[in-house]
Parts: sequence; structure tokens; C-alpha cells
Amino acid sequence: MKLPNFDYAKPGSVSECCDLLREHGTAAIPVAGGTDLMMALKNWLKTPKLLVDLGGLPGLNEISEQKDGGLNIGALATLWQLAEHQTVRTKYPALAKAARDVGSRQLQAMGTVAGNLCQDTCCLYYNRPPMLRQALGPCLKLGGDTCHAVKGSKSCWATYCGDLAPVLMVLGAAVRISTASGDTVVPVNRLFSGDGKQPHTLQPGQVVSEIMVPAPKANAATVYLKMRIRKSIDYPLLGVALNLALLPDKKTVGDIALALTAVEKAPIMIAAAEELKGNTLGNEQIDQLAEAAYKNARPINNTYGYTPGYRKNMARTYVKEALRQAMELATADGGAA
Amino acid sequence: MKIPIRLKVNGEEHDVSVEPNQTLLDVLREELSLTGSKKGCDSGVCGACTVIIDGKPVLGCMTLAVRCQGREILTIEGLSQNGRLHPLQQAAIDHNAVQCGFCTPGWILTAKALLENNPRPSREEIRHGIAGNICRCTGYKKIEEAIMAAAENK
Repeated sequence: MKLPNFDYAKPGSVSECCDLLREHGTAAIPVAGGTDLMMALKNWLKTPKLLVDLGGLPGLNEISEQKDGGLNIGALATLWQLAEHQTVRTKYPALAKAARDVGSRQLQAMGTVAGNLCQDTCCLYYNRPPMLRQALGPCLKLGGDTCHAVKGSKSCWATYCGDLAPVLMVLGAAVRISTASGDTVVPVNRLFSGDGKQPHTLQPGQVVSEIMVPAPKANAATVYLKMRIRKSIDYPLLGVALNLALLPDKKTVGDIALALTAVEKAPIMIAAAEELKGNTLGNEQIDQLAEAAYKNARPINNTYGYTPGYRKNMARTYVKEALRQAMELATADGGAA
Repeated sequence: MKIPIRLKVNGEEHDVSVEPNQTLLDVLREELSLTGSKKGCDSGVCGACTVIIDGKPVLGCMTLAVRCQGREILTIEGLSQNGRLHPLQQAAIDHNAVQCGFCTPGWILTAKALLENNPRPSREEIRHGIAGNICRCTGYKKIEEAIMAAAENK
């Protein structure tokens, strides 16, 4: 497949990179691992004038444990690094699992953590070669005036399919957004706009440079469950991330967070989880949370594989299973995971 | 506009001029005549174009050549040493793990990286490790046996 023509720049520092991106505006695209971008280029979904290579920027590919017990992940750390990192595997196994669940080992060796967070939304009517797109004309995401996936809709329904985002969200992680003039730190969910067409809130000149994950709580467990047709390669058709921290009695919920991916235009937090704080988890509470996930999941018919109805139904099942696993882990001797 | 770069492939340095939009796979095959890396899906799924860069298995079709300057690239052509096949290549022959042969360079390199990272993998770890290498002849069982044997003989 022939890629569009573009110029190439390899800045030597983050600020130089931000300057270039700001100067060229939407005509420039940053590239980290490139696995998401390359297909967009091959399908001529993106035709940048300039590619700004973030690869090899100093200090951005490290994963380091912090004095307060938290974890800092450099934006350019690969998914492979994250999946194999000893501290990640022992203290944040759900994060390591989510990284191991992405694509194939080759894609994990190439793809970066920030790139995974900042991947574009997917839709059958968008992610296909130009020849196949001709039949229906451009969709909303390509500058057309209608959504082909949800007929008549005036907003783009392309789905966010990242695996790491829901796990980082339930862990309470934050991202450092760098610009030429300084950094800001925001919670991970602030990266997502909720618009399928422009799924991220990053502006030209801004890049994610670091991800900060707080220390795991006592008696806590995090679980990530991914539904897909094959056990590898595939994007999630549903992803459920759950973080559960029990109080010292190991029965009462001290903290709980639930997030879903691949069923909306952004990864979504299920606010109803908050209501379970201070309760013990009986069948009634479990059903209540599963029902909230079911109601909030809005998969549509824009992917291969299972039907939207099935995926929505499975949100209930997966949340119940995630709760079961999290409770088992959180109450186990030694507790943390 | 072409950019001059130096690629280190199988221990040899090559000076080439590449367009920014050329993939590593195209440069290996078209400019350096290293046709062992195959172009299968050309979309990052099948793994036939797998090469090893700095010790990790990477997809040549999803990598821009211009980004590979200064990195150690290993293709299937560089695997045998002084006419002696690599243990994985020998195991592929011994266990009949080659049918049409199109996926073979890719999975052998992926397996090499796997064994370097994990010298004694379980069957499950092998399956997970080579899940990104599709064999349309569906000869996975033999491939798995060959990798297992190569690991045991190490």
C-alpha cells in the first residue's frame, strides 16, 4: 500500500517537538510506536504534511517506581516493557495483562503506552481502504455530513477501543501533558473528548509525556477482562476494568471504580460504582453495578464480530465476573494485586 | 524528498536514500534485495514481515525505514552463521514445520526473540508468543513443536 507523501522531522527534545507540532498545526502528526498511525496512513485516512518522530526522545521510555509507592510510566515505554516489567506485574497485574492483551507481541514491541491511550477511534465505515469508502461517500469522521454506522446521526459514533485507558482510569492515574511552555497534569479521563470524530482533547503542540499511577491501596485488586473473538490480535469488543479496595474487615467496600472500553466513543467510568462504597458486596449490589454497566454501554454495529445487543448484554456478565475475581483477589491472604 | 540513512542489517551497514513514506519492509525487499521478509497483509496483522530490531520482533510493514537509522536489524537472511542453520531453522526442518513457507521467516524470528526473552517457555507461552504470526496452512502444531524442541536443545 502506498502511503501519502509527507516530510519527516526528528526533534531532539519534547519542547522542540511541541514547537514543531504547534507551528504546523493540524498538518503535522506526532508518531510514537506508529502502529495505529501507519494503518491510517496506508488507508489515506490521514494525510499529514509533516510527521514528527517522538521515537528516542531522551528519558521518555522508562518505567519507575516512586518513593510514595506509585509508578511513573514514560510516554514512550512500549507495551512489551509494561507487560514484562516486574513491578508492574506484581503491583499492577491488570495493567500488565491489558498490555499483553493488545494486538500481537510484535505490536506490543512497537506500540507505546501513550500511543495506546491516544489511539484513534475505530469504525468499519472509517477504517477501510479508499476504494471501499467510495461506495457510501465520506462519513462524518472523514468530513462528510452523515454517520454511516448510525444512519442519520449528526455525530460520529466511531468507537474507542484502547485497552490501557480503562485500567489506568480505575487505578486513578494521571497524565502529564507537555507543551513548549510547560506541563499540566490531568486525570486520564480528561484526555478523552467523547466525540468519535476528534476523540482526544489534546491540542496541536501538546503531547502526553508521562503517565502517573498512584500506589495500590491495601486489600485492593484490579481486574481487566477483554472480550474478543480470538485470544490475540483483536481489538476488544468489550473491555471491563474494575478496581476494588476493601476496608480492613475485608468485607466492606472502601473504594471501587469501574470503567468500560470499546462500547462508546470514549472509555467510560460507571458512576454507579461509587454508590457501593461502605456496603458489602451481596447479590443485590453486584446486580446493581452490572445493570449500570449494561445501561451505560452503547455498542453499535460498526465492527466485525458480535452484535451490539450481545456486547451490551455481555457487559453485565463481564462486570459480574470482574467483581467475582476482584473480591477473590482482594480477600486472599496477602491481599494486594 | 529522499533522506540518506545508514541501515545496519544483519551486521552490515548499508547507505540508502529513502522517502519518508517508505516502509522498512519495502526498503529491505526492494533496495537491499532481502526478500526473506514477506509482504502478507501489509497491515500489521499477519506477521510475515517480522524482523528483529534491537532484540525485539517488529513488523517491517508497519515501520518507516527512515526511523530505523542506527538500530540493529536482523532479517531471516542473517540468522544462519557460517553456513550453519540456527537451531530454530533446523528444528523447523526436523519437525516438518514448513508447508508453503510464507510465514516461516516471520515466526522463526518471532520465536528467536521469544526464546531470548524466555528460554524455557511453556506451550501456552509459545502460543501467545507467536499469535501474531498467521499460518494459512494452519501448521501451528508443528511450529509449536519445533519451537519447543529448539528451546529444549538450547
